[in-house]
Amino acid sequence: MDLELLIAFGAATVRVATPLALAALGEAISERGGVLNLGIEGSMLAGALGAAIGAIAGGPWAGVALGMAAGMSAAMVLALAAVVGRADQIISGTAVTLGAIGLTGMIAQQAFGTAGAGLAVPTLAPVGVPLLEQVPVLGPIVFRQSPLTYLTVALVPVVAWLLFRTRFGLELRAAGEAPLGAAAAGVRVRMVRSLGVLAGGALAGIGGASLVLAQVGTFTERMTAGRGFIAIAIVVLGRWHPVGALLAALLFGAATALQFLFQASGITVVPYQVLLALPYLLALAVLATAVGRARAPAALARNE
Amino acid sequence: MHALLGENGAGKTTLMRIAYGLEIPDRGEIEVGSESRTASRERLASPREARALGIGMVHQHFTSIPAFTVAENVALAAGWRETGRRAMSRAREVIDRLGLPLDPGAVTRDLSVQLRQRLEIVQALAAEARVLLLDEPTAVLAPPEVAELVNVIRRFAAQGGAVVLITHKLREVALVADRVTVLRDGRVALTGSVGAFDPRALSAAMIGDDPALAETRRVSDTAEHEPRISIAPADQEPIVLRAGEIVGVAAVEGNGQRELLRAIAGVDSSPPGLSLTVSGSVAFIPEDRTTEALIGEFTLVENQALGHLDRLPRWLDWGAIARDADAVIRDHDVRTTGSAVAAATLSGGNQQKFVLGRALGRDPEIVIAENPTRGLDIRATGAVHGRLREAAGRGACVLVHSSDLDEVIALADRLLVMHAGVLQELPRVASRSAIGDAMLGLSREPR
Repeated sequence: MDLELLIAFGAATVRVATPLALAALGEAISERGGVLNLGIEGSMLAGALGAAIGAIAGGPWAGVALGMAAGMSAAMVLALAAVVGRADQIISGTAVTLGAIGLTGMIAQQAFGTAGAGLAVPTLAPVGVPLLEQVPVLGPIVFRQSPLTYLTVALVPVVAWLLFRTRFGLELRAAGEAPLGAAAAGVRVRMVRSLGVLAGGALAGIGGASLVLAQVGTFTERMTAGRGFIAIAIVVLGRWHPVGALLAALLFGAATALQFLFQASGITVVPYQVLLALPYLLALAVLATAVGRARAPAALARNE
Repeated sequence: MHALLGENGAGKTTLMRIAYGLEIPDRGEIEVGSESRTASRERLASPREARALGIGMVHQHFTSIPAFTVAENVALAAGWRETGRRAMSRAREVIDRLGLPLDPGAVTRDLSVQLRQRLEIVQALAAEARVLLLDEPTAVLAPPEVAELVNVIRRFAAQGGAVVLITHKLREVALVADRVTVLRDGRVALTGSVGAFDPRALSAAMIGDDPALAETRRVSDTAEHEPRISIAPADQEPIVLRAGEIVGVAAVEGNGQRELLRAIAGVDSSPPGLSLTVSGSVAFIPEDRTTEALIGEFTLVENQALGHLDRLPRWLDWGAIARDADAVIRDHDVRTTGSAVAAATLSGGNQQKFVLGRALGRDPEIVIAENPTRGLDIRATGAVHGRLREAAGRGACVLVHSSDLDEVIALADRLLVMHAGVLQELPRVASRSAIGDAMLGLSREPR
């Protein structure tokens, strides 16, 4: 394999991993609070549509902002139903995702017409980090990426700090481990859980936005194609820790980027469709083997 | 018909579970049957064997499966091989034989509570039971439904069946039973024909009367001390609890004491009809160490932080919190390998010492404790009592509830009794039987 191909593969891995990592960071926050957010796929899709509309109206950064807001509004529905209203988390999350699929499809048709595929959205061009991008191999892979990738990497310590160094993080984790104990200690369990879900929705929304603004450059119906669900697998693989989530997202990114690599090098031993399915198979494998000693928050998917 | 009486934790349910093969006794012997067929052995291997010997049990909670039909539930409980239509007709036979009208095709979920209770009895008797064990079967029933249940039991007894009824309602004993046994701390405190005892004798036997313990009370005069908590039931004189006193709350589980304590601790809102005034900083020691007081998977340091959430800055200084946790571990003799271990790795006694130390660490003006020594051995219990007395000695107002009346009496300077949500103060020198009567609502003055 020549170096150029390796660099292309590495860069694709990082690019593809970005939306996954953002969504997984969001899901990790939500799950640490005890809410299994199956609506994360819906938040990503809403974020993608919001990003497309925002970017066309006011440029790519407006797209990021609108995408984040759209992701949060989808999460708001889940927070109201599953946390405030104490409905079943699995059902509410599924409903949010299915609702988002329908709603984004409808809005997209209204906004963009049926042309769809031809839609061009202003994108966030890759930005090189001065000096670092000159580093051989690593430079072009890591330091010539979209600003949203840098944002993602910066968010990892921020989320870790939020979870482990702040009173809010302590309250959130307590609500996710032992809602009764948290309540006895004076934690407003539903409030912190709701905030966790909203924060998660915001990050998933940015994740969806990055898909449109830094990867695909257009919006199509159902374009997230299960990335939200893969983010849930990533959280398990990353053991509910932001750093773990980033690394696991890179692994899934690599599994996806593999198809680019195979196509580019003209290898046809494995059918193209199998490679497309690779990340999903990997997700299944992760969830089935439950990854060693990883332990979910004790009250995950349980209402108080 | 035999009634089995006792306080919570006296061992009633355990005894019946042994008789039904669900629990293994440490020692003793079980004898089943009459002259014709006697099986005597040290234990029953399983409920299956108990059923084969003609023992049926109705548990405290419903065991029928809501999604199943009545016939399916009966077939499951009786271990029939038949399914579908044949189970249906066999269930109908059983129902007719027992004279307990039920539609075998009805889905259990759709039945009323009364009918579900009836189904539980049919399940217990389906395998031709001769002995029926009933564990608080009336807990979920309203009075007319209780009467119906009593009729069913009487009919079973009249047909030659033997019944053991677990209850802590004295009224039911007089209503139903021929004989009565009172358990206390796993021992028989009294047994005989129901007619031979009045309710007071039964309540005294349930609660025990040991005058020696009363002398361990601490005498102190706190009448002039600063008021800390005032509990005012609607249109009544408020009960005022003051600094420096230990106030014990005696009550049978489920009489509103939990709600009251939690309302004073600021964890729950006030129960209706009581107005509370709380002045001072409050430390709350919830009764369940593993689900409420501590989060098992969190380290002691994290638990230390959770214990003082209201005083925590927005950005945490884990170093300072760890020093606090270490101080608690040192001052309260908590046996642990350090403060960075998960709370679940500590023994119950050491967990409780940590919980108490954490709560008392900042000299709270009010201490609220629910069953602070549940599950602890004598040494740990003594340590906890010592700490609570110390806190009162430093001027805290300590409010303690324990299901163990001995503990309440041993600790308290003043004694409150709660029955059915109504609080009354008893004189410090009240006899144990007077306290017992008040706990069971026998001596409540008419209001």
